[in-house]
Formats: sequence, structure tokens, C-alpha cells
Amino acid sequence: MFGFLLRRTAAGLALIVVISFITFVLLSLPENDVGRTLLGPEAPADLVAAKNAALGLDRPVLTQYADWLSHALRADFGASWFTSEDVTAAIAARLPITLSLMIGVTTVTALASFGLGVWSGVRRGAVDRAVQILGVLGYALPGFLITLVIVLVFAVRLGWFPAIGYIPLSQSPAGWLSTVTLPVVALSIGAIAGASQQVRSAVIDVLSQDYIRTLRSRGLPARTVLFKHVLRNASAPALTVLGMQFVGLLGGAVLVEQIFGLPGLGSMAVAYTTRGDIPVIMGLLTVTVVGVVTINLLVDVAIGLLNPKSRQT
Amino acid sequence: MRPTSRIATCALALGVLVATAACSAGAPTTGAAKTALTIGTMTAARSMDPIDAGGGSIPYFQAVYDTLIKREPDGSLTPMLAQSWTYDAAQTALTLTLREGVKFDDGTALDASAVKANLDRFRAGGGAEVGQAATTASVEATDDRTVVIRLSGPDPALLNSLSDAYGLVANPARFDRDKPFASVPDGTGPYELDQRATTVGSIWTYTRAANYWGTAAAFEKVVIRVFDNENAIVNGLRTGQIDAAVLQSVDQQTAATAGTNLRTTSQEIDLKLFNIFDRKGARIAALGDPRVRQAINYAIDRDILVRQIQQGRGTATSQIWGVQAPGHVKELDSFYRHDPARAKALLAEAGYAAGFDLTLPRLAALVPDSLAEALRTDLGAVGIRLKWDDLDRSTFLTSTFRQFKYPGVVMNGGQPSLDWATISGSLLPKTVANPFGDTDATIQDLTAKIRAGSPEQAARHAQQLNRHIVEQAWFVPLYRMQYMHVTVPSLTAVPQAGLAVPSLYNYRPAA
Amino acid sequence: MSADQIPAPTVDRPGRSTAARRLLRNPLGVLSTLVLLAVVAAALAAPLLTDQLPATAHLRDAFGPPRAGHPLGFDSAGRDILSRLLYGARNTLGGAALALAVAVVLGIPTGLLAGYFGKRFDAIANWLVNLLMALPAMIVLLASRAVLGPTVWVLMVILGVLAAPSFFRLVRGIVLTVRNELYVDAARVSGLPWWRIVSRHVLIMVRAPIIIQVALVAGVALGLQAGLEFIGVGSSGELPTWGAMLNEGFQFVQRAPRLMLWPGLAVGLTSAALVLLAVALRDALEDRADARPRRVRRAAPPAPPAPPAPAGRQAEAPDRAALLSVRSLSVSYPGYDGEREVVRDVSLDVAAGQIVGLVGESGSGKTQTAFAILGILPDGGRIGRGSVTIEGQEIIGLSQRRWRSLRSTVVAYVPQEPMSNLDPSFTIGHQLAEPIRAMTGASAAAARRRAVELLREVDIRDPERVMRRYPHQISGGMAQRVLIAAAISCDPRLLIADEPTTALDVTVQAEILALLRRLQRQRGMGVLLVTHNLGVVADLCDSVLVMRQGRVVERGPVADVLVHPRHDYTRGLVDAVLDLPLTEQTDDAAASGTEQP
Repeated sequence: MFGFLLRRTAAGLALIVVISFITFVLLSLPENDVGRTLLGPEAPADLVAAKNAALGLDRPVLTQYADWLSHALRADFGASWFTSEDVTAAIAARLPITLSLMIGVTTVTALASFGLGVWSGVRRGAVDRAVQILGVLGYALPGFLITLVIVLVFAVRLGWFPAIGYIPLSQSPAGWLSTVTLPVVALSIGAIAGASQQVRSAVIDVLSQDYIRTLRSRGLPARTVLFKHVLRNASAPALTVLGMQFVGLLGGAVLVEQIFGLPGLGSMAVAYTTRGDIPVIMGLLTVTVVGVVTINLLVDVAIGLLNPKSRQT
Repeated sequence: MRPTSRIATCALALGVLVATAACSAGAPTTGAAKTALTIGTMTAARSMDPIDAGGGSIPYFQAVYDTLIKREPDGSLTPMLAQSWTYDAAQTALTLTLREGVKFDDGTALDASAVKANLDRFRAGGGAEVGQAATTASVEATDDRTVVIRLSGPDPALLNSLSDAYGLVANPARFDRDKPFASVPDGTGPYELDQRATTVGSIWTYTRAANYWGTAAAFEKVVIRVFDNENAIVNGLRTGQIDAAVLQSVDQQTAATAGTNLRTTSQEIDLKLFNIFDRKGARIAALGDPRVRQAINYAIDRDILVRQIQQGRGTATSQIWGVQAPGHVKELDSFYRHDPARAKALLAEAGYAAGFDLTLPRLAALVPDSLAEALRTDLGAVGIRLKWDDLDRSTFLTSTFRQFKYPGVVMNGGQPSLDWATISGSLLPKTVANPFGDTDATIQDLTAKIRAGSPEQAARHAQQLNRHIVEQAWFVPLYRMQYMHVTVPSLTAVPQAGLAVPSLYNYRPAA
Repeated sequence: MSADQIPAPTVDRPGRSTAARRLLRNPLGVLSTLVLLAVVAAALAAPLLTDQLPATAHLRDAFGPPRAGHPLGFDSAGRDILSRLLYGARNTLGGAALALAVAVVLGIPTGLLAGYFGKRFDAIANWLVNLLMALPAMIVLLASRAVLGPTVWVLMVILGVLAAPSFFRLVRGIVLTVRNELYVDAARVSGLPWWRIVSRHVLIMVRAPIIIQVALVAGVALGLQAGLEFIGVGSSGELPTWGAMLNEGFQFVQRAPRLMLWPGLAVGLTSAALVLLAVALRDALEDRADARPRRVRRAAPPAPPAPPAPAGRQAEAPDRAALLSVRSLSVSYPGYDGEREVVRDVSLDVAAGQIVGLVGESGSGKTQTAFAILGILPDGGRIGRGSVTIEGQEIIGLSQRRWRSLRSTVVAYVPQEPMSNLDPSFTIGHQLAEPIRAMTGASAAAARRRAVELLREVDIRDPERVMRRYPHQISGGMAQRVLIAAAISCDPRLLIADEPTTALDVTVQAEILALLRRLQRQRGMGVLLVTHNLGVVADLCDSVLVMRQGRVVERGPVADVLVHPRHDYTRGLVDAVLDLPLTEQTDDAAASGTEQP
């Protein structure tokens, strides 16, 4: 297990370096006069040149990247070109919000999709059809429509939850819960729709396995077979799906953070990328790729614990 | 199936728990007088450095810095860090006498050398509003309390500038650091920035300063929250999570007024205009001919624009002067009435009976579909084939205002309450609105007179200049837009004359 | 997988035409196909459906209600909503198709080659795919927008690249399993060039899953395109698209919510249709008879009294045996063309201490008979008629709970394929002890001790060590011993063994058979031995039944039936065995693993 972790971590690091390199080079390709953009049209040329030099933009791209990498390895992503804020600090300040959403959504999705998936996979028939149709609806309804309706009904009309903003968990757990509930619900609907179908397939697949029949032939109660053997064997593929959804949530977070006015990574990504703020884009990309690699690693470890066969490799 | 229904029950119970927790936490506080102010805006401050101040971000700075001169809501000027000020006879030297007993956070007293250091730094800093210092030739600190600003020529907007970005005074003790005020301000203002509750780019939190030299701040806490859409702001206003905001989108204005108890005040402040850069006809020869520019003005049906795009919340106009400026001439609003026949005649007269091609950049946030299509249809009707280049914000700014790839742009213009601000912002050579330095004898003559004359004379000449610009069709002004100031009932916000954003001082708890 | 678990389907590999027919019988499949066809047709026929052009704007009409010639009214710029919807469909579907095309072109060939050739190409491709899969799509789209601009077409190409791994993985996985199939081997041996093999044999196998994946990815691309334009990240310029329409609608959601309604409906309906189509395709291609109610088994009515058996040799069934007695049993499965009977009118008896062989080729219904007796028919299977008594108790119509309590303690099951019949996630010890605890209420320690004893009883030398092993860590023969130990764990009086040696090595087969015989003798168990191997029957059984097409065609003492087969079919079986040395015949069976044709 230790060797496995070590190998995967090394591969993950290599991946991050490769991705960051490609992105960095690509981002540096377009000829943007950053200094001019920053200082305005009326600034004298020497000032602009000085600004570009101060940002290190007068050096070759490879040198710039090497410099970036050496700092990034120490978790220093430099300063935003446009707002001068420290990118690492800025990301750190926004990370808890997006993370709250993603963990919340993953928890809700895991519970709900396992419930629905197992139910429809075992019962089949009408229940199965109903869950499938609900799944398709949840999948097909545009996420922003669902989110807008949720805000209007539960925040603006009924006033059960705040419509905007975020309260840190450390400040007030109840406040945190109230601010993340609606965004989590909004994001979960689509995620549950997708994941419950996957859980259902996995359950149906396991149910058709020979060993399930053999276990039943030995007189084990149906409940034991379902909750011990079916669930355990179905959870490995389901976990893979949940892991991939966790990664995909970042996209949904962009939208939900905008609508709920949450200062998270998603809204940050939109705001800074449209301005072409390379230090921020690189920082965000690195942090998210690290997140993805970590999640994949965790999923693999979890699958290894659940499924002894995969431990060999 | 029984076990699964148990899970469902659990999930339901969890949901209820969440809901009740939320209810106890989410109830908006009401009753007692407002002690905290939360402003929703779409404009973020770039940093806490006065060099980066200006425009819609000025309230962020007014919280922690004081300006030399204070600007009242009606545009009149009152003492702040400067107790008094006088011009010399030639109006080229402004003497400011500073207030005594004002101290920075580190205990150093505010003196003339500190003010000089700030004014010099602003002039050299190359910020967005560096134009406010354009006429300043030099600054002298003649004694501890006296600063003299020497000008290259009369500048009727200088005092206003000193109540804006140019007048912000920061602690010079930090000037020699790298990016001294990137996120930590250091000024003499009525509030302190609460850094722990601040996320740059999203939320700024200020708390009342303990030992402010002047009248203590109106609120214990001020929070400015940035959003990227007004929909979220209106939702926040309706749930009481935001106390005040200025709404630009007419649809959101409707949302804020329908079925709510919010206080609203409308202000006609920004102008939607087609700014023609290429008045020399370098790129598109036709635009060099005033008759063609007049034809464009005649071709557009402004009343429909106001009715449909602004839903009536605005006024069609043919002048760039705002209603609060003395140079405003009411009848010029309707100088160019919709008259396609006349437009065609003018085009024919200018030798463009067959029309011409025109490509303009478009930023969807500035030119919504409705406006883009209306302009294309109206211009198309007289033979001008308009094509829009849809651009990204950064590309838009670069290619439009830096590289001048296009002969003009449809944009929003401010409508200052000072004639000189309009002139120096939109007419003088090398300004954003006049990048190629167009001018003529009339303009030169009138601007010189306005610059040096008495207020009454200046107003008269400004009106003449206004008319001249309209007749020459330098611009294609479209309509003035109504913005809506919205506050919760427990709060009042007085609009700022000539500015879309109220000064921070204009917010008060309701009596 | 055991051979005749699937009730002899009429089609072995779903061909295109049958799949299409099945799709058309699924109402959701028909509906989604119709919706998609309608959307595509509407997009193509836009000029025929409306006289208006999507770019014609009359601000005067902005937000105008529907009127003649403009059935959906006008948008914020005074453009005809219907025409924008129709022409917008072209661009929207085009964008999704673009992403899809990129994903397919990148993903499928690389997947085919990586799966077929493996080695270095596979390693490189896999590395690249892992790289792509580690990229958070939205961040990448935003970053590429910073480089390449907001043009939505460029973003769709990027999306296509990001979606390519899903095709790659799918195709590679299938090709890996197909690569070593006999017919592919045969093609390779016969000297066909690789590209012919891939295009002729391999591509056909991956066709169905690809179609499903295409529908899913198209749905995702459609939704994402709309989403990108909605949040203003992507832009399609002056071309109308549904995403741009949604974006516009959002800006006027207070004044005219209907501006959002139509494009929202279009996006929702189209992506819903794509997902439903994928689901229906999956059902059709994977031959899932979902249309039928599932839990009929539970509701099966008590069997009517057994009718008198028909004439012939099978009519000579003796009086009902005390241990197991089956009369006129029939088992059926739902199919698209009505119920299919896979076991018809079968009667048999097993007395204590007796070994009865049940022989027949695959699909003859012998395994289904065994499952029916055990009450573990696969989903959809039901006992139509007949009577089954175990120790005199009628089990058909018995409650699940009562029936279950008979298993292990009275009747036990030894399956065919040892490896697939052990739960891979639990240790051998756990799997042995669990039913013991469940059936006898023994403590964990006692159940464990009993499990060790049992392992010893089936000749496993180091039982403590094996207890800690997982199924994948032991050999097939060992696994079969474990399964036999599990079967006898609660001292059953009847053992039903379904081809217990078929999947094993030849050397192990004899050992397992010897073990079964020893246990049967020691414990005096009755055994119903399901097999296709007459050698085994000759070796072990007291009497034998021969099944064909669900019916018992011949029965009698082993010596009788093997020496004087009366039925042509039996004769054929016997002759086949006599022609070949026994060992070779079993060798073949072991090599192919299953007896599937």
C-alpha cells in the first residue's frame, strides 16, 4: 500500500508539472502587452516597459516558467497582475467556500444516489422507471434554471435560507449550514441524477453475479446479501463515479457561486480568466489539478480497501 | 425495500434539521437603528492604493482615506483635510491650508510635506485617473500647513479632482515599499479595514475608526460585497442581506421595486453613446464628413431605444452634457430627431448615396442584443452596413482603446456635473473620447474662455460649445440611462451629483 | 458465468436490425428518437417552418406577444423567437456535433489501437488519457478562453478533446476483452492484416457501446455549450444559439420569463431525449427484458396438482421419493414475444444416499431445473406449474422466509464456476462462517471453528491460512473445495451440484469428484448432479435423466441408459463420448471455460 501511494503521488506530481508547463506556455503565447493594459493608454512607454520588467515578462517563457515552478513548489503562486493580491492567500481564502460546496454535494449525492440506485436496482419495475425518469429530468434540466428557481422560492419568497453570501464554519456552524444548504441542493440535483444511475447499474451488475446467487442458496437473508455483499461490491464503481463527479462539480460551482454571490474559486476563476491574469489562472489550475489528483488517489485507496483484488497492483 | 425506506426517512430528518438550523440563523435583524451597512456592487477595488482609485470604486477609498476637499451630494465642496483653499488671480496656483491635529494610524501628523508626497506620487503613478493631475505643473509645501499646487493653465475641475482620487491622502511613511497599499490601506479615514473579514475581490469589511478627527462615522461596520450579476444583488436586497445598491439593469430595477418595501431613488447619470474616434476619416473616410456623422444621428430612432431597451427609464438625447452641468441645453436633447429621409439625403450629399461598411467592437455588457440589433437595423435602413465584432472584455479594451482598431465604439459615458469635467474628459485632445486630437478654432476659442472665465461666462460658453459639438456631430449620443439607488427602509442613500455611485458619506440610518 | 443461466436467448449477438426493432418497441426509445428527429428536422427545415430570419430585428416589436407569423412572439431586440429557436438549433446542435466529432475522432481510433496492440502505444495513450482526465474541465475551458478567446466553437473543440478519454477507455476496454477471443485469434492466424481484423471483427463489438456513449456525450456537450454561453464565458457572436437565447432571457427574467422558457425547453428536451435514447439503446442492445414485471416469482401462485405424466419412458416415474421429488415442473421467462418455457413438465426424484445425474447440452434446461428447486431463479424466471417437495414439504408457493430456511440445512448447492461464486470482497473464512452463523445462530468463534473443521474435511491442508485468504488468492480447485465445504456446512441432506468440475483442470476434476463421492457416502446425502459429461455420470451416478429442450427425454439407471439408450438424442450423446477418449473431451470443456456455443 505504501509503495502504491508513493508511486501514485510521484505520478501525480509529474502530471501537475506537465500540465502546468503546457498551460503556462499556452497562456504566454498571445501577445498581450500586460504593462500597457495595467497602466492605461496614457502611460508613457518607459513606464510600461518598467512594469513589464517588474513582472518579469521581458524574460524568455522558459525562464519565466522555471521561476514560476520554483516558487509554486513552495506554494507561492506570486501576485495577481491586476489586483496585486497574493495568489496563494487569495486561493486559500476562497477555497473553504468551494470545498464546503463540493464536500456537501458529494455527501448528499453519495447518500441519495446510493439510496435511489440500490432501491431501483433491486426493485426494478415501476420504481426503476420512476427513478430513471427523475434522473433524466434532473440531468436534462439546465442547472442554472434549477438554481434560479431554488433561490427565488426558498430564499426570496419563503425566506428560509439566505439568498447570497457565505458564513465560515468556524464563525457559526448554523450560519454555515444555512448559507451552503441551497447551493448544495442546487448542485446536488444534477449530480444525484447521474450518480444514482451509475449506482443502479453497479447494483444490477452485482446482483447478476454468480456469488450472489450462491450466497442466497446458502440461506442468507436477502437483507444481509443486499447490504453486505451487493453494496460492498457495487460501491467500488460507484466510488469511481462519485470521484469523477467531485471533479466535475468545479464546473457547476462556477455557476452556483455566481448566482449565490459566493466568493469561491469558481467565481474567482471566471473573474480572473476573463482578464487574462496569468498568475491567478496558473494558481487556480494547479490547485484544482492537485485536488483532482488527490481525489483520484483517495478513491483508489478507498477502492483498494473495499476490493481486495485491486490491492495487488 | 424496508431498509431503504429507513434511509429515506433519515435523509428527510436531516433535511428538516438543516432547514430549522437555517431558519434560526437566517432571520434578518430588524428593529433597532441600523449600525451596519452592507453595500452590493459590481465594481471591485483593484487595490487599496489611492493611485488605483476613481470612478465607481471611490467608496472603498473614502472609508479609509480622507480627501483634501469633501464633495457633498449636491456637488458643492466643503473642507476636509484642507480647511480652506484659494486661487490666485490667474487661476494657475491653488493654495491649500491644511487642518491641524489629523494623524495617521502610526501617530505621525498629517502635514504639507505628506500632502505634497501624495500629490506627486499620484501624478507619477499612472493610475486610471491620472488625468485629474494633468494640469498640475508642480506642488510646493510652503510651510507645515500650506500646500501650493501650480498649474500649467486654469483647471476648473481641479477642486473636484481634489475631492476624488487625486485628493486622497495616504501615509507617506510606506511609499518606499513595494506595492505599499496592495491590500492594506493606511490613511486618516473614518473607518479601518478589517482584514480578517475581507476577501479581496469579493468582500471588504470596514469598522468604525476609534479616534477619527472629524464626526464619527455613521455606521459601526461597513461591508462592500462584489457580485458579478445584479440578479444576486437584488436577491440580497430582497432578503435583507444587502442594504444598498445602485442598479443599472432595468429588469433588475423592476425586480427591486415589484412587491418589496425597498426605498428607491432614480438618477439619470450615465449616457449611452456611439463615440466616433475616426473624425478625420483615416480608417473610414465617410466618418470624416460631418454630414455623414449627422446622417448617423438622424438615422437612429432614439425614442424607441428608450422605450424598449430602457423600458422608459431614461431620456433620449443628442448632447453629451449631463442635466446637472451648467452647459446642458435642454432643447439639444431633441436636436436629431429620427429622420431616415434626411439621413439619406445627407449621405447622398456627402457622396455616400450607396452607403458604406462600418464595423464596431461590441462588449455584450455594454451593448445588449437589443441595442446592437436596433442600431444595425436603423443604420441599415439608410444604407450604412453595420457589423459587430463580439469581443471579450480584455480584447475589447485593448483593441478599442489602446490599438484603436475600430473607428469608434458604443459605450457608456459619465455625465459630470462640472462643465470642465465634461470638456476635459470628452473633448480635449488625447482624451479617451478624442484619441486622435481632433479640434477646431471654435472649440479652442470656447474652451479657453470656459477655462479662465467667471462661472456665468463659462456656463454661457459651455452651452455654445455644447451646441457646436452637437452640430458637428462629434458623437452620436443615444440616451441617458436611469440608475436606481435602492436601500432597505432603515437606511437612506443620497445620490451623488454627477456620479453613478454615492459617496460613502451619503449613506445614513433612516431617522 | 454458468452456462444456461440465461434462458437460451434466440439471438446470440444482437444484430443491428433486431436491436432497432427492440428499440422501437420501447416507448421511451420511440419517444426520444422522435424528439431528436423532430429537432434535427426542424433545424434543417428552418426556412420552411418560418418566413422570418433570426437576425431581423425591429426594436418596436421587442418583448411583443405572439401574433400571426410570429407564433412565439419577440425577444428583447424584437427578433422572432421561433426563427431564432429554429436557426439556433443548427448552431447549437452543430456545436455539440463538433465536440462529439473531435471526441470520437480522437478517442475511438486510439482506443482501438491501444487495446489491440497494447504495449508501448497503450502505455503512452493511457498516460495521455490520465493527464486529460486529471484536468478540471471548467478551469481548462476558462483558461483556454483566456488564450483563444471566447468563441464557443473553439471551446467546443477543447471540450471534445476533454471528452475523448471517455471513448478511449470504453473502446480500449472492450477491445482488450475481444482481442483474445477465438474468432479474432482465428482471423489473425489466417493472416488477415490487423486493420482488416480491427475493422471487421473488433469494430463490430464496440459499435453498440459507442452509440450509447455518443448519445450521452452529445447531451453533455449540448448542456455545457448552453451553460458556457449562459454565464457569458462562450460566445457565438451574432449567430443565434440556444445558450445565447438563455443568456438573453436571464437578463430579462423579470420582464419576460418566456424568453427563457423556449430555449430552456429546447435544451432540456433535447438533452433529455439524448439521455433517454442512450438508456433505451442500452436496454435494446444489451437485451434487457425490462418491459416485464420483475417480482413475479414472489407472487407465483401455488402450483396446481401435477397432471398425469405423458406416456413414454419418462412416464415410468416411480412414487415420490422422500428427499426430493419434482413433478411436472415448468419454468418460464418473459420475452418480447410472450413467455418462454425453458423447463417443461420435468419430473424427477432423488432419494437419500442416491446420486442422480441430470445431463443435457447447454440450454436444455438442466441448470434452470436445479435453480428452480433451490428457489434461486434469476430475475424474471418463474415456476409456471408443477410441484417440488423436499422431505415431503411442498416448496412451491412457500414463503421466501420458509423456503430460505430449508437452504443449507436441508438442501445445498455446489456451483459450476468456483471463482465467480465466491464474493471477491470477503475472506474465505468470512464467507464460510457467515451462513453458519445466520443459519445456526452460532457465535462468531464457534462458526469460525466449524469453518476450519469443514475446510479440513474437504482436504485443505492449511485451513487457518486459507481462511484469511481472499478468493483471488486461491486456485480454482481450492475454491471448489471451499464451495463444497460451504455447501455441507449446515449438514444438508440433499446436495445439488451444478457441473461441479467443468471449470476445473483435468487433474483436479478427479479429486473433486472423489471428494464429492466420499462426502456423499459419509453423510448419506442425496445428490442431484447436473452435468453434460456422461463420463462423470458413469463414474458417480446411480440413475440418470437426459434433458433436451426443456424436457426429460430419457431416464433410468445409469447402466441401462448408457448401454441401451432409447432416445436418438441420448444415443448421440453416448456415441460422442465413446468416440473420444474421455480426457480429451473434458480438456476441451476446461479450456473454453464455459459450454457456451
